[in-house]
Amino acid sequence: MDIDGYVEDTSRKVQVRFVTKLKPPFKAPTTSIALPSNLTRMGLSAVVNNLLESGNDDWKHEPFDFLIDGEFVRMSLEDFLLAKGISAEKTLEIEYIRAVAPRKEEDPSLHDDWVSAVDGSSRFILTGCYDGLGRVWEAAGVCTHVLEGHNDAITSVGIVKSIDNEDTNLVVATGSKDKTVKLWKLYAEPHAENLKIGAYRTLRGHTASVQSVAAQPNAIMVCSGSWDCRINLWQTKSSEEDTVSTKKRKKGSKEEETQSEGEAVSTLVGHTQCVSSVVWPENGTIYSASWDHSIRRWDVETGKDTLNMFCGKVINCIDVGGESSALIAGGGSDPILRIWDPRKPGTLAPSFQFSSHTSWITACKWHGRSWFHLLSSSYDGKVMLWDLRTAWPLAILDSHEDKVLCADWWNGDSVVSGGADSKLKISSEICIP
Amino acid sequence: MKEKDLKPVEEEVAVNENVVVSDSDDESLQSPVVSDDDFESFSEGDDSSRNSDSEFESGSGSEESEFSEDEDGENPNNEGGLIDGVDSDGDQSGSDDSREVVDESDSSEDEVGPRNTIGDVPLEWYKDEEHIGYDVAGKKIKKKERLDKLDSFLARTDDANSWRKIIDDIEDEEVELTKEETKLIRRMLKGKAPHADFDPHAPYVDWFAWDGAKHPLSNAPEPKRRFIPSKWEAKKVVKYIRAIRKGLIKFDKPKEEPRFYNLWGDEHDKSGHGLSYIPAPKPKLPGHDESYNPSLEYIPTQEEISAYQLMFEEDQPKFIPKRFASLRSVPAYEKSVRESFDRCLDLYLCPRARKKRVSVAQINIDPESLKPKLPSRKDLKPYPTTCYLEYKGHKGPVASICTDPSGQHIASGSHDGTVRIWEVETGRCIKIWELGEPVQHVAWNPLPELPILAVSMGQDVLVLNTGLEKEENKKIEDLLRVETLSVPDESGCAGSSVRWSQYDKYEGIRIKHFKTVSSVEWHRKGDYFSSVMPADILLFFGSYFSVLIHLLSKKITQRLPYKLHGLPVCSTFHPTRSIFFVATKKNVRVYDLLKKKSMKKLEAGVREISSISIHPGGDNVIVGSKDGKLCWFDMDLSSKPYKILNSHPKDITNVAFHRSYPLFASSSDDCTAYVFHGMVYSDLNQNPLIVPLEILHGHTSVNGRGRCVGLQVPPEAAMVVHCRSRFCNQALLPLDLDVSCGSLRVFSRRWEVVDSAFAQDEFVRFFSENAKLSGEALIGSRS
Repeated sequence: MDIDGYVEDTSRKVQVRFVTKLKPPFKAPTTSIALPSNLTRMGLSAVVNNLLESGNDDWKHEPFDFLIDGEFVRMSLEDFLLAKGISAEKTLEIEYIRAVAPRKEEDPSLHDDWVSAVDGSSRFILTGCYDGLGRVWEAAGVCTHVLEGHNDAITSVGIVKSIDNEDTNLVVATGSKDKTVKLWKLYAEPHAENLKIGAYRTLRGHTASVQSVAAQPNAIMVCSGSWDCRINLWQTKSSEEDTVSTKKRKKGSKEEETQSEGEAVSTLVGHTQCVSSVVWPENGTIYSASWDHSIRRWDVETGKDTLNMFCGKVINCIDVGGESSALIAGGGSDPILRIWDPRKPGTLAPSFQFSSHTSWITACKWHGRSWFHLLSSSYDGKVMLWDLRTAWPLAILDSHEDKVLCADWWNGDSVVSGGADSKLKISSEICIP
Repeated sequence: MKEKDLKPVEEEVAVNENVVVSDSDDESLQSPVVSDDDFESFSEGDDSSRNSDSEFESGSGSEESEFSEDEDGENPNNEGGLIDGVDSDGDQSGSDDSREVVDESDSSEDEVGPRNTIGDVPLEWYKDEEHIGYDVAGKKIKKKERLDKLDSFLARTDDANSWRKIIDDIEDEEVELTKEETKLIRRMLKGKAPHADFDPHAPYVDWFAWDGAKHPLSNAPEPKRRFIPSKWEAKKVVKYIRAIRKGLIKFDKPKEEPRFYNLWGDEHDKSGHGLSYIPAPKPKLPGHDESYNPSLEYIPTQEEISAYQLMFEEDQPKFIPKRFASLRSVPAYEKSVRESFDRCLDLYLCPRARKKRVSVAQINIDPESLKPKLPSRKDLKPYPTTCYLEYKGHKGPVASICTDPSGQHIASGSHDGTVRIWEVETGRCIKIWELGEPVQHVAWNPLPELPILAVSMGQDVLVLNTGLEKEENKKIEDLLRVETLSVPDESGCAGSSVRWSQYDKYEGIRIKHFKTVSSVEWHRKGDYFSSVMPADILLFFGSYFSVLIHLLSKKITQRLPYKLHGLPVCSTFHPTRSIFFVATKKNVRVYDLLKKKSMKKLEAGVREISSISIHPGGDNVIVGSKDGKLCWFDMDLSSKPYKILNSHPKDITNVAFHRSYPLFASSSDDCTAYVFHGMVYSDLNQNPLIVPLEILHGHTSVNGRGRCVGLQVPPEAAMVVHCRSRFCNQALLPLDLDVSCGSLRVFSRRWEVVDSAFAQDEFVRFFSENAKLSGEALIGSRS
């Protein structure tokens, strides 16, 4: 405890009561105490740790973050109260949560080339690499499967939910610079190591590199965005049914596309430049971002775009999530992470802007459960964790030595990221409330 | 009798006189007091002057005593003299009498009248007569006989009073002036009143009694004319008015320029002296709300008044209107002293600005107003401002870069003998060709499905398969296969000058030229490409063979069917029509390839052209020169530049248009690239709009003298900085960058001994738009 702080402090005191929604081991007594008003987050954290330690002898110190009226405390208590105009007379209720920061850095998982894509939405970590191989990791450094088949760099990976409703069966989609999208089936086998797998389905039809893939939540279809400015929709089912359904749904796309093997179900045309990122959050809606400065929302049934947002910047990555899964986070060829709320009528201005990065942003992902948390990765080699309630990053993961090309959440409490240093880094034990 | 006797004597005297004159001046001068008629005029003037001289001489001495002496001995002498020298006449005595009378009486009326009565007639009339006139009785008065010269001289010397004697011609007698008379004359000569007792300054005695006069001097009533305006004056005024209106009368006289100026004066201009008057600010006039009984809408409610209390003192209204029943009940204004004090402060403390009228003639024009009106840079976004990506790997200066038609990749050729392909988005090096010779120029084939690269390297032009198109690879391989039989194909006149062969080291074609090739450019259809060999002075037919056009599908080469005047530097194809541009050092020649004739010659007027780029619309050309100037040609306007931008301090190495945005850029040896907005309007009447946007810095600069800025490089190393810029292709793609960005810069340095420690610093940089502006703005275009 910072005894000196109490002694020398001649400044004002604030009556404070700590509250929390955390479970008992983290629960501190809710009696109000007087604290010097110049305490910062670190000081508050020390106070709470002391309180907890007094009730529990074998308490390990734990960083906490503090919220006053739903806003993070990022300055001294006095400044915060002044800035927010909160009276210091009455007892202040400070909610504390466990700080959102990784507590553990796993060993890097080495690749042969740059790691261009990562997906952590299942219990495996799926990575795509510039050597044309996709890899499946069970844990840090444990590669179970190798997806072999692309003859150029993999640019994007996505997990299609298990078709057969069996946990052991996983379907994976990968997009590559060889203009194809491949689908793979994984059978989780215990103690498998570097098991080589071939694609069970190859989807051809793009005329340029595939930049991004995303799967429908109900796993029926996969969409892919490409340098040919199109978004193609593909069936994930087997080829016999596929051809039938293709003919049904054909939408005036080009002849050679429909005739080629594994052809597209549908093509969404509208972007004028490379489609850099696609997201498929709901069964009927696709979001896409492009280098033509636009973010579009497509209705899958009609193939029309229901929203066309001009952003003024090249967008490299988007993700949809947050409050009621409606906010769009996007980053592009400038160091600013922007978050738009398309429900807000009449404005295209981003509702949030986070600008701590110093170079282009390559990936942004919402946390799966939290409305407030998201991460971003950038060419400056950093991965940052953000909370919508504060303009400062919650944590900065500076583990990569080179550009970070991709990043994702994994298991809800870890961040996985891959970069130009050919490493997959896992930062775990992040406590997201 | 006497007269007869006298005549000879007179002659003798004249002779003697001459002798005397030779002896002494004084005597001769004094002698002719009495002269005969011949000498009269002469002697008279002379005489009087002499007399006066002598008189004054003597007078200056003891005047009084002299006169007294004279007086004493005069009369007896004179009388004796008269008696002696002149025959005593009754006339003579008469004259004496009269003179005595004169002496006795002061009054001139009492004087006896003159004896001669001829009046005031010229005496010449009587010159030849015997008489001099007539007396009162009408009798002739005989002329007296004059003393001859000798006698008169003797008489004068004897007589001390002779200087007082004058001859009265009218009376024909000799008069001796009295002492009083000489005094009188002397006073007159001095300009004084003749009488000594006359006082010219006596006090004035007014004869009129001004006091006590009861009545006016005149009893006449005031005349009527004093009360009515004068008709004549009115007429005169009307006359003047008319004259003024007609311009006959001018009031402003032309100013006379001072003809002389103070050459040594210090101050040349006195106009700026002293404080000039600046009017004080006017106080606000009272309005309705200052009335003692204003309308209700002027009176603030109680809430408003209490709201005023909460405001800062400065923001509070100075005066709050109040309502009074009558003027009588208005109290004294409590702030009047304070306000008049403030007003005084305003009057003498308030800084007052003098408004100046701006005229062109004045030199102190606001320089801002002279700048061309350019649109704001913010409105011209997107354009590149910030360097975000660097493409590292080259170990030598990067000489040329080119983006593929989709914008996904960049090819760069370097002097380290390699050509690399980079992924734009990530900066990853995809492919490296080790060619072994410094690469001069690289160019992508403009067809997206044909990803092949033309490279100029030494004397060779290589056409390389990038292998990016895996599916079509077979077709490309077929295209790039040269049958050895076709080598001696002599189609065209240039068959002997180049040789097509398969490139052994990598998959591709090698076209061997006879000279160093500086640049290669593709035709838009991707089948033809041109190569330029600049160093061809020695060949007499060099001007025909320095620019070659190759046909890839048939593997044949043609020369340009025109003679080139000057050294070609680079060439390029028109983006839409079959027009070919060849830039020589002095000018740009434009050829129509279909009609096979020269269309135009663009005169740049710069020292040495280094690069050329065609606007995607095809009607505008920019040319960069080695003296740092960038010329913009509008092909529809003239063969002279529409604008010349004198921006770079050093050689321009490359210029480029953006393929979709209205941007163009120039890169220079000074390690900067300038980005300009170049809007071409479809309206033919509107000239292109050129706005300088941004200076892109970032390439570490090394100057040619071997001193390294920024990096520690051995000073003896010779370094060259190369900068190339080119816009990403946007045609199909998006390089958004272009999108947002647009320009790529490749930079590197060369030194003789490549130090491996610095190898990492060779890089390609990528610029993209950013919120923060890094570069400084250009001030204005200099045209």
